[in-house]
Amino acid sequence: MIDRRQFLAGSGGLLVALTVPLHAACSTQSRPAGPGNVTAYLGVGADGTVTLYSPTTEMGQGTHTGHAVIVADELGVPIERVRVETAEPSDPFRRNGSMSSGGSWGVRGWHEPLRKAAAQAREMLTAAAAQQLGVPAGELAVEAAEVVHAASGRRLAFAALVADAATMTPPAEPRLLPASSRRHVGHKVPRVDIPAKVRGEPVFASDVVRPGMVYACARLSPVFGAELESMDPAPALAIPGVQRVIPIPGGAAVVAGDSWSAIRGAEALAIRFRATAHDKLDSATISRQMRAGLDADARAIEARNDGDVAATFAAAAGTFEAVYEAPYLSHAPMEPWTCTLELDADGVLHLWAPSQAQDRFRDAAAQASGLPPERIRIHTTLLGGGFGRRLGSDGVPGAVRTAMELQRPVKFFWRREDEMAQGWYRPAQVARLRAARDAEGRVTAISIRTAGPALGASFSPSGLPEGQLDGSSVQCLRDTRYRTGAYRVDWVRVDQPVPMAPWRAVGATQNGYFLECFLDELARALAKDPWQLRRELLAHDARALNVIDTVAKAAGWGTPLPAGRARGMAYVESYGSLCAEVAEVSLRNGRPFVHRVVCALDCGSVVLPDGVRSQVEGGIVQGLSAALREQVRIADGGAADDNFDTYRLLRIADSPESIETVIIESGEAMGGVGEPPLPPIAPAVANALFALTGKPVRRLPLSETAWT
Amino acid sequence: MKIECQINGEARSFEADPEMPLLWALRDLLGLPGAKYGCGISACGTCTVHLDGAPVRSCVVPVATVAGKRITTIEGLGGEHPVQQAWIELQVPQCGYCQCGQVMQAAALLARNPSPSREQVREGMTGVLCRCGTYPRIEAAVLRAAELSRAKESQS
Repeated sequence: MIDRRQFLAGSGGLLVALTVPLHAACSTQSRPAGPGNVTAYLGVGADGTVTLYSPTTEMGQGTHTGHAVIVADELGVPIERVRVETAEPSDPFRRNGSMSSGGSWGVRGWHEPLRKAAAQAREMLTAAAAQQLGVPAGELAVEAAEVVHAASGRRLAFAALVADAATMTPPAEPRLLPASSRRHVGHKVPRVDIPAKVRGEPVFASDVVRPGMVYACARLSPVFGAELESMDPAPALAIPGVQRVIPIPGGAAVVAGDSWSAIRGAEALAIRFRATAHDKLDSATISRQMRAGLDADARAIEARNDGDVAATFAAAAGTFEAVYEAPYLSHAPMEPWTCTLELDADGVLHLWAPSQAQDRFRDAAAQASGLPPERIRIHTTLLGGGFGRRLGSDGVPGAVRTAMELQRPVKFFWRREDEMAQGWYRPAQVARLRAARDAEGRVTAISIRTAGPALGASFSPSGLPEGQLDGSSVQCLRDTRYRTGAYRVDWVRVDQPVPMAPWRAVGATQNGYFLECFLDELARALAKDPWQLRRELLAHDARALNVIDTVAKAAGWGTPLPAGRARGMAYVESYGSLCAEVAEVSLRNGRPFVHRVVCALDCGSVVLPDGVRSQVEGGIVQGLSAALREQVRIADGGAADDNFDTYRLLRIADSPESIETVIIESGEAMGGVGEPPLPPIAPAVANALFALTGKPVRRLPLSETAWT
Repeated sequence: MKIECQINGEARSFEADPEMPLLWALRDLLGLPGAKYGCGISACGTCTVHLDGAPVRSCVVPVATVAGKRITTIEGLGGEHPVQQAWIELQVPQCGYCQCGQVMQAAALLARNPSPSREQVREGMTGVLCRCGTYPRIEAAVLRAAELSRAKESQS
């Protein structure tokens, strides 16, 4: 990890930013506004290396490569010349006032600003070349990091033009190059971060080393949100190598000369936590309370209401109803929370942090340290997995308090058990779905009520006022493309003391499961094929129809399978992309096994085709992992599952034998890719098991059902 | 206690608590951060290194037990190992945190069985978790690495 200041120093002061606002904005971390910052994204070094300051965190989703190819094509440089790092928070890198990576926004949201910034840079370099060569800019072209004057054969390297270009004002409306000139976008381009990752070279937050650094391991409350009552540091201090014990929010940090001594010290610490009102809370209680919420008509908050649902049900030739439940899920990134900190001689606190939300981290660090925000610098390292977990800054205060107390560099970390037990889960939720049909077997109404804790109340810094709708709790239900005649969605808030955070694909994960499994049960009740029922409900929507037809065709829907196998289908739209999947399952040793998954994804248009495939595969594997076995059980006010021995992630031996991806470039607005492939897999597999065994899956994970 | 062993082909000598897991000695005392901490209970395999050629979960191997032995970490694999080549060719990693463990597990698997079947790959790699879900590519890349190794063998 190269700090930008070191990078500048290391290049002998020769690095010249194309635009002055870039470094001013980044180094002061003010919140400057204004269109002048648009080329804040790019710098060209004296050696011709292009440094791209990406607004996104690289956590495996590949946006750094996506951004690099966009810039390489528009600027006319080979991808090898583009170096990417995550920017520090300032306005050019913010969306809705905050810098963060989520919502599958990385490529679809930053594609145009980065392309424009690169076009501006290209025009400024070209203008500088026109001056130097004494020819009109119109006679010049860019090629391989040079400006070329074809008529005279003269060429000037970007490096020779940077100093002049940097004095110019970026053009407001630069000309964008035609699609035909693209050498990277839309092609198979190797990811920029992969060679280092197979050699053990990438620097994660846990790999950052600072001179004189010590190690601090946290010991945190096993009960959600419980605060420290008292502790006796003596048993910890008796461990060789342990230097200090420092109280932090929710527990203590044990400081030692190495990680192992810090862990032993943390485990030895005699510590008591204050009692809470939820010290006896367990999963059964939460489930009961959520299910009671399904009957709390007076508390229901309406999310959508089309047509006259009550009248349609009253006139129905038949009705069908089912209740579903989804558990809390842990993000379980492979890297437990770690943050390396240093308070420098100028009184600036540096955090080398795995952050998906740089402004949120900075604000949390400012609050915990008492320093003004401009004295906090967030250096975003590569993340050892994010999935939404690193949107939360809950690990920051303890790390900052430890660093401020020590006044020396420190690597602050949590054990896996704390990573998993602090909460910030995908919400648990229940849903009751009801459908009405007419005498001809057509669906005439669907009414959906979900009940559960509000993600927004737990995760949003401002909370969620009573009476307001929690968007995540009705995500992909209130805005579905299905047309069912009368349609109603509402939600009942059932608060729980379990902290929650967005989990890859967020509310679409549980709501996609509810609706898509319900549709298959409904199809059976109506004696219809599940694909045909979806075709009826999407008959008005050519784009959605194409997605489910594409997956049906690619999967061979309706064609014979070996005995003991069955297919299931699901279709979920999220984050601007339409995604349908078909899973082929059997029971192996009495447990569900997925042989094949076929995915059709309409994400509008594609920047990195292999990157899309990679995200589809990853989303399906992670979604399948959750569907098969994952759940955080709650007991005694905390997590009963806090490590991989009982929180059982999918292993390769149990992963699908094949995943096939059909990318649909419909030409519609570019959609997200990191999240949309995940939600359909759980209902696709559950529906396949329903087809195979006749047992509906009313509860996840699938391991809760006795299959044989 | 003083531990003497061979790491990535070099004789190394260091002082450590005999109970300290090898993982932390590598990372904190020896400047070899390639092996990662994931669980501390040998459940995830992120910390996998080779001990006398065999894959071990370094988070549960006390350093006292490695005295006099040969250790290979990702830093010592050479960078051009067929597994590393196949990993790049098939664009396996996403976040990359588990990948050192995956690569070391795969290298050990192929050293023992140069021509594994698909089922043997799935079985042999199942101790190393990947949360990003790179399993389909891991499976393909181990088989590809086996091909690359055999091609290299037949050339030499």
